[in-house]
Amino acid sequence: MTDSSDLGPVPPGGRTRGVIARHVAILVTLLAAWEIACRMGWLDPLFFPYPSAILVGFWRLYVTQGNIWPHLGLTMAEVLAGFLAGSALGIALAVCVGLIDRLRRYLKPYVIVLEATPRIAIGPVIIAAFGFGWTSKTAIVMLVCFFAPFVNTLNGMVGVEPEKVSMFRSMGASKLQTFRKLMLPSALPEISAGLRLAMASALGGALVAEFIASNAGLGVLITQYTGTLNMSSAFVCVLTLSALGYFIFRSMEELDRILVFWTDRDRTARVSRRRLASWRARMGDDA
Amino acid sequence: MSTHAQSAGPVDAALAGPAVIAARDLRKTFGGGSVVAVEDANFEIRPGEFISLVGPSGCGKSTLLRMVAGLLDRTSGSLTVHDAEVRGPHHSVAMMFQKPTLLDWRTSLENVLLPTEIAGRVTDADRHRAMDLLELAGLRDFAFSFPTQLSGGMQQRVALARLLQTGADILLLDEPFGALDEFTREHLNVELMRIVGEVNATTLFVTHNIAEAIFLADRVFVMTPRPGRIAGIVEVPFERPRPPSIQQGAEFNALVSRVRQTFGDRG
Repeated sequence: MTDSSDLGPVPPGGRTRGVIARHVAILVTLLAAWEIACRMGWLDPLFFPYPSAILVGFWRLYVTQGNIWPHLGLTMAEVLAGFLAGSALGIALAVCVGLIDRLRRYLKPYVIVLEATPRIAIGPVIIAAFGFGWTSKTAIVMLVCFFAPFVNTLNGMVGVEPEKVSMFRSMGASKLQTFRKLMLPSALPEISAGLRLAMASALGGALVAEFIASNAGLGVLITQYTGTLNMSSAFVCVLTLSALGYFIFRSMEELDRILVFWTDRDRTARVSRRRLASWRARMGDDA
Repeated sequence: MSTHAQSAGPVDAALAGPAVIAARDLRKTFGGGSVVAVEDANFEIRPGEFISLVGPSGCGKSTLLRMVAGLLDRTSGSLTVHDAEVRGPHHSVAMMFQKPTLLDWRTSLENVLLPTEIAGRVTDADRHRAMDLLELAGLRDFAFSFPTQLSGGMQQRVALARLLQTGADILLLDEPFGALDEFTREHLNVELMRIVGEVNATTLFVTHNIAEAIFLADRVFVMTPRPGRIAGIVEVPFERPRPPSIQQGAEFNALVSRVRQTFGDRG
């Protein structure tokens, strides 16, 4: 392997390809070490299955048996529905509270107490109320996903510079205009961060809810496989969750970059060029 | 109180016509009357005049400006703009702040168009006008840049173009270049004088810099704190626009001394 840092400028993609190759090399080394540790008897394969066995397990769960799909689908549905409902509720309520000062004063103590309460402690109560099915899981995810967007949206709206609010007032802007054109976009970076936090905890929330009591979902599958010491299959479920979590994280990052482009230098420059191009297309070449 | 006599000087007489802004016994107190921010201000401002409000912080100059903008209620007295009592923000008055107060998610052009958007629909004519104003502010090449891509001075130029886009004939500027470095500030002051002259607006400019106040204004309202009041009005007899070099002249220095004396009169 050549070290590209000594070779001066690298063609685009050249450095990334080198980085990827190195990452793959490290991963393969780690897996090989794990496999060897198992085969030499340093790790008990009963609890830490061979990587090769896990690989076979992937084939089994996804292709030959295909039994992971309904569980994966259910967990994803719970996460998505709970996230959407919980964060929408959080943002909507924060907007109401942010716009009405009096509501903020009366609601604040409740929010603080609720925020201090570990969300999952209410899990069994919700399951008792909504049953073992997907509704109780979605409700728990909703609860987990409510607070970060709520708190962040409120902070974002309250944190708008007073001079900007004065400027809108001096222009004769209505309350709705001030909200739409100033408060909401100003709060967007914080709202987006809140959504990322919510999404990060959504998956964990759904799993814990499934651990508590459920009849389907990846959490149930993991419990069942671990109970029967079918560790390679349990690891397939865990690794599936890792991949899912990674995918969710990356898509939230991407959403953030689109939603609040102005916090990123390169993206701002790109949007700027796009605006210029669309002006030229509309107004002719006088810019 | 020799400075008071100055307000009836020759320049005042030369500016004919009715007052655009008039204050009679204008008073503003905070905290139930315990803090007098503005005490019994009396003045008349003519169309096209450039007035500087100069004084140390806490002398009530920003409070006075905000009352004219309709952002603050007065405690007592009368304050009229175009012969109507000020009862809130008015479309003939526009205000600019120390911070650029630009919206980060909008290009310069979109920021300039904000007042038009708030007033109603944006037409192509509005867009061209906004472009012309950016040109006037020397920013045509940066019309599609976002605020984070601009320097502090350029951001304030965008804010200035936005101020003019409102179409207001009374411009209120609250230490607009106070956060910028000395060189940029001097440069922007010259630009401001040129631009305000071109659109022929009546301007109230708040600053704590005496030289800047005199350099820009037809008349300087000298304000002193606790209680905040207009201690004197100094006429500036130079034609606008003026070159920055007049600041080295003896006559200019005499004006600076006179403003300083007004502060000194109050101990």
